[in-house]
Amino acid sequence: MEFLTSNSLRHSQRAPLALKVIALITAFLFACPGLYLVWRNITSDSDPLGLLFSEQTLSPLMRTVNLTVLVTLSAAILGTSLAWLTIRTDLPSRRILKIILPLPLVFPTFVGAAAFIRTLNPGGLANDLVEKIGIDKTLELHGLFGAWLVLTLFTYPYVYLPVAARLKNLQSSLEESARLLGDSSWSTFRKVVLPQIASSLLAGSLLVFLYTISDFGAVQLMRYDTLTRAIWTTRLSNQPVSFALALILLSLAAIAVIIETLFSRRFRKPDMITQSEIVLTPLKKWKTPATAASWLIVFLALITPTIALGDWAADGLLREFRGGRPLFIELEDIIKPTINTAWVSMLTAIIAAAIVLPVSYLVAKYRSSIGNTANAVMTSTFAMPGLLIALSMFFWTLRTSWAAEHLRGTIVILIFAYLVRFSAQALAPARAAVASIPASLEDASQVLGASKVKRFFTVDLPVVTPGLLAGSGLVLMSTMKELPITLLVAPFEFPTLTTKIFHSFEDAFVAEGGLLALILVLLSAVLTWILVIRRSDHLA
Amino acid sequence: MKTKPKIILSSLICLAFLCASCSSSSNKREELSERAAQIVQGDCANDAGKEVTIYSGRSEYLISPILEAFACETGIDVRVRWGNSTDLAILINEEGKSTEADVFVSRSPGPVGFLEGNNLLGSIDQTVLSLVEKQNHAASGSWIGFSGRKRVLVYNVDQVAPNELPNSVFELTDPIYKNRVAIPATNGSFEDWFTVFRDQHGNETATKWLNDMVNNGAKYYPNNRSIVEAAGRGEVDMGLVNHYYNYQEAAALGSEHRAENYDFPSDDIGSLLIITAATILETAKDKDASNELVSYLLTPQAQSYFSNKTFEYPLAKGSKPNPILPVLEALEIGSVDFDSLGGGFEETERIVRESGILN
Repeated sequence: MEFLTSNSLRHSQRAPLALKVIALITAFLFACPGLYLVWRNITSDSDPLGLLFSEQTLSPLMRTVNLTVLVTLSAAILGTSLAWLTIRTDLPSRRILKIILPLPLVFPTFVGAAAFIRTLNPGGLANDLVEKIGIDKTLELHGLFGAWLVLTLFTYPYVYLPVAARLKNLQSSLEESARLLGDSSWSTFRKVVLPQIASSLLAGSLLVFLYTISDFGAVQLMRYDTLTRAIWTTRLSNQPVSFALALILLSLAAIAVIIETLFSRRFRKPDMITQSEIVLTPLKKWKTPATAASWLIVFLALITPTIALGDWAADGLLREFRGGRPLFIELEDIIKPTINTAWVSMLTAIIAAAIVLPVSYLVAKYRSSIGNTANAVMTSTFAMPGLLIALSMFFWTLRTSWAAEHLRGTIVILIFAYLVRFSAQALAPARAAVASIPASLEDASQVLGASKVKRFFTVDLPVVTPGLLAGSGLVLMSTMKELPITLLVAPFEFPTLTTKIFHSFEDAFVAEGGLLALILVLLSAVLTWILVIRRSDHLA
Repeated sequence: MKTKPKIILSSLICLAFLCASCSSSSNKREELSERAAQIVQGDCANDAGKEVTIYSGRSEYLISPILEAFACETGIDVRVRWGNSTDLAILINEEGKSTEADVFVSRSPGPVGFLEGNNLLGSIDQTVLSLVEKQNHAASGSWIGFSGRKRVLVYNVDQVAPNELPNSVFELTDPIYKNRVAIPATNGSFEDWFTVFRDQHGNETATKWLNDMVNNGAKYYPNNRSIVEAAGRGEVDMGLVNHYYNYQEAAALGSEHRAENYDFPSDDIGSLLIITAATILETAKDKDASNELVSYLLTPQAQSYFSNKTFEYPLAKGSKPNPILPVLEALEIGSVDFDSLGGGFEETERIVRESGILN
């Protein structure tokens, strides 16, 4: 009953004008790539509607949908289980797992998939090993299964991070009571925990969905012909078709975003949040299997590709002694890209956290339609191919000579392009976090006469911070591995680790590529730890 | 505790600015990278006060030492946007007249044909064009070839006996090659090659060949490198690729890499030479400096870099390929009609898609 009253009270609140204005401006800026795409469809006589029902589109579209549904389901289950295990149970080694479980996100899929193939496919490291024990069963990763496996392992952190952030903030007293009343761990989880984390789970799953429909690297290497591949193969030879297919992809993304928005309204807010010590659920007999399963995931998603990268790098470092070709890179080729990658991605992540807050408030607190529109625009852009975002940056900056002169090829436009591509990753967890500010807490502070600004800092921010940090962590790692935008939009002479890795693999300099990819993984581990994990632990 | 990330961030930003001031186009010999220093003969020239902007679809590893050496020897500053040839061509098209690119270097002919079709290419000076045989530049002067990659059949030496190797790509549709051949069907060089194939043998023959290949269980791979790598591991027996990947892979992995190149007879379409081309944009700001850059790619020192460091075929008149490469025969060069490639590309893409190899 109390819940109902506070909710209706909240509903009557009008959103502050400043927030609405900020959200409108953000939405307008974020709409640039989408508007560009629509414009190109009009000017190049594309026929997206006609194409939609042609065989050429339908079969890749069906494959995209198949793959995406499978990946989203498995990443949601995996991410949630891992979050619950590491945050709410007495799982051994959970401290180290908390740091390394988000890391698979940092593998650019074109590197990750190549590394997987290197390790698991015929003639690869794992196969060699299996063969030595005398088993002649070779597994070949490709097609739907290969793409599903690689994408699931590389995207579960989208669910893991926001759900873990949410779990840290939830009171555990209900769980305790449920358990005391004789419920098993599983049924406690289902009845008590799941409803409370639903909005974060949904937000994370949406990110997995959008990531998967827009992925190109993994499906390309796994030879699974999806819509992104059709967009890619036609981009030079038949641009109108490519533009039309991209518009279809973007519409698919928008539909997913709208569905998620409608769904997420159905989950009730938690009544209370405690900042008190979390009581851990004892795993008892499940301890060993749960530990084994968690480490199996780490092994597959992190160690397997890292071994392949390490193998490539070690070959390169050793071959000089064996009289082979020396490494093609010098120390400067490593330091400069590493520094560039680090500061650009950190800056992007921080700005992303700041710009998603107003929209999160409008959506989750005030349920404003302007907020919903901004949310739909910012989130669905995540599914847009990087190449098109890059082209749209040129299209818009070249409209005026001032922008062409002062914005084209600058860091400003690069970071803006990154934000357009990745802010959705900060927005989804931030929305979930704002939605979780308990109404009772707010009402109380309102009654006590705290000012809006003061309330924001003392009441809201501590609750929202873990989710916000988790979101910027996602933006950070995605920005670090971004390729197509970086290649085209970055200033001249602005190498990043990913562009270097791209060049290495493109021309079979695998040792150099392996070495640089290892540095990328290491750098992201360090940065995520400093900026996200350590701080969110500290705050929760 | 809370200020730490800020300190790290600000110190990184400072470092970045410090690094930005150490620009790569230097005018001092001792500042050159090791590989560029091997190319430069003599000292660096004084700053000429000119600048050329290149959009390069050739990767940094393969060409940046040459550009660095050019900057040193001529005193002309060089700015490069690296990327995939196709994406860069699309970018130039999007930028149109206001593109920053003066010179565009492409890995394969397709993107050049695309830009030519959109009237974005200017013409290269006659003196530069005359550095190569006339079949290696466009009659209109819109592009010039500076190095070449040959199409070959890469094969795993443990799984393919020498007497099993075919005399022609046409033999690959034979049942003895069932499920054994890899094709990089969406790769730029493959599409270029297939377009020439159609041009030489007619659409019907070429389409039938590809469909037969698919019926014979040919496997699709996304690019040349992944085929060479897979053949080296034994995942696939053989594949149609560009010649130089195998040299790179063997140089990198040594004897662990179990694949070798096989050259089809020189009159077979399977041994076509694919040209890497340089072009000067219609809108190039400094045409002289641009021509100077393109001609530098054809100097003996640059050509010897291509043949000895990247294992490509040099195309300047009088230059000698690396002795480890098989000798180029007459028919191979000169059969690429760029104009037909640009227009024929769409059709190639359609035939590839309809063959079902992607599924």
